[in-house]
Amino acid sequence: MNNTIDPERLRQRLADARAERLQASLQRRHRKEAVFRGLGLGAVCLALGFLAVLLFTIFSQGMSAFRSSHVQLTLEFDAQRLGDAGSERERLEQYQTWLDEALLRALDAPESRASAVRPLLSAAAVYQVRDRLEDVAARPGGRATLWVLASDEVDLIQTGVVDRAWPEAARSLSDQHLAWIDRLSEAELLERRYNRAFFTGADSREPEVAGIWGAVVGSFLTLVVTLALAFPVGVATAVYLEEFAPRNRLTDLIELNINNLAAVPSIIFGLLGLAIFINTLGMPRSAPLVGGLVLTLITLPTIIIATRSALRAVPNSLRDAATGMGASRLQVTLHHVLPMAMPGILTGTIIGLAQALGETAPLLMIGMVAFIANVPSGFADPATVLPVQIFIWSDSPERAFIAKTSAAIMVLLGFLAVMNLAAVLLRRRFEHRLK
Amino acid sequence: MVFLRRAEPPQSSSALAAASATQSSSGFLPGALVDRPRLSARDISVYYADVQAITNVSMDVAQHEILALIGPSGCGKTTLLRTFNRMNDSVRGCRVTGNVIFDGEPIYRKGVDPVALRARMGIVFQKPNPFPKSIYDNVAYGPRLHGLVDRQAELDEVVEASLQRTGLWNEVKDRLHKPALSLSGGQQQRLCIARTIAIAPEIILMDEPCSALDPIATARIESLMRELARNHSIIIVTHNMQQAARVSDRTAYFHEGHLIEIGTTDQIFTTPEQSLTEDYITGRYG
Repeated sequence: MNNTIDPERLRQRLADARAERLQASLQRRHRKEAVFRGLGLGAVCLALGFLAVLLFTIFSQGMSAFRSSHVQLTLEFDAQRLGDAGSERERLEQYQTWLDEALLRALDAPESRASAVRPLLSAAAVYQVRDRLEDVAARPGGRATLWVLASDEVDLIQTGVVDRAWPEAARSLSDQHLAWIDRLSEAELLERRYNRAFFTGADSREPEVAGIWGAVVGSFLTLVVTLALAFPVGVATAVYLEEFAPRNRLTDLIELNINNLAAVPSIIFGLLGLAIFINTLGMPRSAPLVGGLVLTLITLPTIIIATRSALRAVPNSLRDAATGMGASRLQVTLHHVLPMAMPGILTGTIIGLAQALGETAPLLMIGMVAFIANVPSGFADPATVLPVQIFIWSDSPERAFIAKTSAAIMVLLGFLAVMNLAAVLLRRRFEHRLK
Repeated sequence: MVFLRRAEPPQSSSALAAASATQSSSGFLPGALVDRPRLSARDISVYYADVQAITNVSMDVAQHEILALIGPSGCGKTTLLRTFNRMNDSVRGCRVTGNVIFDGEPIYRKGVDPVALRARMGIVFQKPNPFPKSIYDNVAYGPRLHGLVDRQAELDEVVEASLQRTGLWNEVKDRLHKPALSLSGGQQQRLCIARTIAIAPEIILMDEPCSALDPIATARIESLMRELARNHSIIIVTHNMQQAARVSDRTAYFHEGHLIEIGTTDQIFTTPEQSLTEDYITGRYG
């Protein structure tokens, strides 16, 4: 009798106990929800915290690289001596002499030797003088005032990276140099000014003149090759596989391989590029052309997979509508499916390109890690790219490259942010057009 | 039993009935064949991979009639409809045996271009599916696609006439270049019908065209169908038996992929011969 359930009594009991039990279970459910929400929020905060630390480190180290120390010097030329100098080398030596004289005058230390004061100026200062003041120097009694680059050691003292309190042996500048720096500062002849060389120059052994423009142009040329190859090939592949290909063992195999390709370590693609493009096909080393080809291989799976999922997201009712109107398979694809999938395709492409922009390892294999002091002017010129430039600088022994590295990272992050923004904007525009 | 009454008398049912009575032979259900058919299914079977969806269906569609295909869910009505204009070609694993004769020509044969076939046989789907373009571009799509018109003025004329015939013209004439997706569901479905008739198809296939619409929009489309039947043959799949009774001249009842019974709508709804049909239309099944 106890085991049988009386439906009437059960119902009565449920009705009586409902409010109480519901209350208890609701509390339990709400508690669980609060815990889950707290965990999610915690994860977000943790991620944001890491990001903040990363950005703070990069910015605090890198900001100083956008300015560099300059010394204001008044140069007194002698056109006669310049005319006597025969070779380009002799002329340069003459400029160096004038520069040394000007510095000694500014330091008010005429008894010092030129070689003693030279560590204050950048090795590039003499070229600055020659390039900017060639006309003045050729005039009789020529005289001009110019801000020339100070050496990276002076800049490190100025930014406080090298502490003046360190023992003299631990610094590359002597106490005498420090005294001179103070004298220049007091006379307002030493200033940290906008570092134009950083944005317009190529790499250099001298940190104060090393710039990222060469790497930016190299990255741009490489990405142009990548985009020109990976976008059409990737989209065509995805369209064929998704809209035209019969489903059989062969297409399954292709699909499997494409998905696997996305997971292949990128350095393997670098080896492949080295073996095929450079060794077999004889393409130039360190060239954006080869870099672009290698990055195409890496970007293709990303674009194909993104395009396929964008195509799959196009509702079949749209294909049916066009097919039912008598459109051929190609017309259905070109008139309706591709335009509708375009936001997704473009987003995938830009994400693929952003990935290619940050790729380093495969480019090391094809020689884009070489020291290249010129801005590349074509697809076959030796070049390097932004992330490789960061790698090279981070590996350099000079202290001043620490700030350069962080500054280059900031530039790279800036480009990535712009590309992602472009992806968002393009997507919005296309979606707006469809509605 | 006679709880469903036709809204209006069939236009040609007596002639059809007479024709089918004289022509039916041992291989065909009585009432399956008509005199001078527009479209004929002969021994059609359809398989999806290993599953047989349609089994040996043979039937005719007459000139300018409305034929309703009814039956419980999964009975193969939609599959058969899509077999008529080879829409199943693009469905993976779908296989068709038997043949469909359109204008005396078998359509399942090498050398038949399904694109040309679909240009003569329009289809309207269950869910309104206008293109994400303007209203004008939706209707103009077919004529442009097939190069049916030479001048812009002609295209304008075709678009206006198609919208007029679907009763949509007055509602949209001031916003022809607005997105089609801004229309209401009923308007979208009428736009889809306008889009279909803009290429002057000989046959219009309709796959539950009113299932997503409210009763007012449904009534509109039903009267539109009667209007269209003057120039086109219409095959309509419907779950709504009142609708089949109201609009169709003939009705075919399907059950698990078999054609159970076909005849004039009057006869099917008042004196069905098969018990399956009777169970379904009286609501005992499905």
